[in-house]
Amino acid sequence: MPAKNDINKVGVESSDFPILCETCLGPNPYVRMSKQEYGSECKICNRPFTVFRWNPGQGARYKKTEVCTTCAKIKGVCQTCLLDLEFGLPVQVRDAALGRKNQAPTSDINKQYYIQNLEAQMEDSPDGMAYDSQVANRAGREMLKNLARSDPFYKRNRPHICSFFVKGECKRGAECPFRHELPEENGLQNQNMQDRYYGRNDPVAKKMLRQDAENKGMKAPEDETVTTLLFLGLPETTETDVRSALVFSCPFVKPVELKSLTIVEASHCAFVNFKTRDLAERTAEALSAQGGIEVQGKRCKVVWGRSRPAKGKKPESIEPSATATA
Amino acid sequence: MPKIRTQRTKPPPEGFEDIQDVLEDYDKKMRDAESESHEGKRKVESVWPVMRITHARSRYIYDLYYKRELISRELYDWLLKQKYADADLIAKWKKQGYEKLCCVRCIQTRDMNFQGSTCICRVPKASLKKGIVVECPHCGCRGCSSTD
Repeated sequence: MPAKNDINKVGVESSDFPILCETCLGPNPYVRMSKQEYGSECKICNRPFTVFRWNPGQGARYKKTEVCTTCAKIKGVCQTCLLDLEFGLPVQVRDAALGRKNQAPTSDINKQYYIQNLEAQMEDSPDGMAYDSQVANRAGREMLKNLARSDPFYKRNRPHICSFFVKGECKRGAECPFRHELPEENGLQNQNMQDRYYGRNDPVAKKMLRQDAENKGMKAPEDETVTTLLFLGLPETTETDVRSALVFSCPFVKPVELKSLTIVEASHCAFVNFKTRDLAERTAEALSAQGGIEVQGKRCKVVWGRSRPAKGKKPESIEPSATATA
Repeated sequence: MPKIRTQRTKPPPEGFEDIQDVLEDYDKKMRDAESESHEGKRKVESVWPVMRITHARSRYIYDLYYKRELISRELYDWLLKQKYADADLIAKWKKQGYEKLCCVRCIQTRDMNFQGSTCICRVPKASLKKGIVVECPHCGCRGCSSTD
């Protein structure tokens, strides 16, 4: 009797070349890369994988692949820097703009199971991609193209900052391979790989989205109690339609988190009231990234609501000066 | 391992008493290096003094025999047998281009990341970028090519 194949046994994960972006590889067209089968465990799925290590050019630190090919293919990112392969943007920004949902479970055995299944799926599929691609032409892609860099950004490959130098204790002096600079305090210090990969809580992504929203005029109002967004230029539609359109384009919004959704037929607009200000801001940024919201085939403009001095605002009582931009 | 004198070891040939003091100095230095504290040093840095003293002692014996010709063949062979000098290292010093080699590890291609390469301390300073200081992680060598 042949031995039963253990389905949970890690199969052979071997590849000839890593999945990398242009910046990570460096400017030199000739790169000498070392390959180590099962060199270390993937930072996301913790399974052993083939580690590639190379020098991305003058004055750069040696870079190596941090996540395995499976995890990289699931999200479509570079194996080292975890940025999107197409645009070079963080996962959170790309997903916000394209309205892509993060279906991957992130804990323990669920994660292992999900990745295992996806890997099997990827082997069968012809192009080796597992996620479902969204509609090709969306306003989101335009925005991503604008945000993306045009040239490779080699400053990313510099050596890390010498922590001893920061304390004033670096005894290696000239031969110290780390950078002797003081780190700049810009709020982007606390990043970790898990957050960046799954696209949640990424400070760089947040900064990019907020910047973009402000550029488009969607600056969040100073009054912290405003949690309302207005959709302008709506077609003849129902409340449920608007709700489903919202959830479709912003998959991180759960219907229970909407405090209320009211349509004003007269001015072709809708007031969307959120439970938390944070959720309202994220939705505003995501919708601004997508260039508005699409309801029943019509593209509608999204703006912030205005702050009301009195408590208990009733949307219907808003004067019809909320002009509809058809 | 250090040279342990037992009943079985052959007594040294003549001429040993003259160099015995210097060898004892090296021995003391080695013992100091071995018992140094590891505080403030990198993990690899702790071994560097040991490697340096080994190199120095081997160099002393090599110079005595090959350059200054102050000791006899028997004494030289006895010293090598008793491991006062590193015979492998001296064998390399006799070759052209390796006269100032720091340690045998730095030319061992099997230990290196890429096929057939050597430690960075073997690269002549003329070929390195200006101003780059190298301290090879094996022995702390700062450049042992014959042209430096």
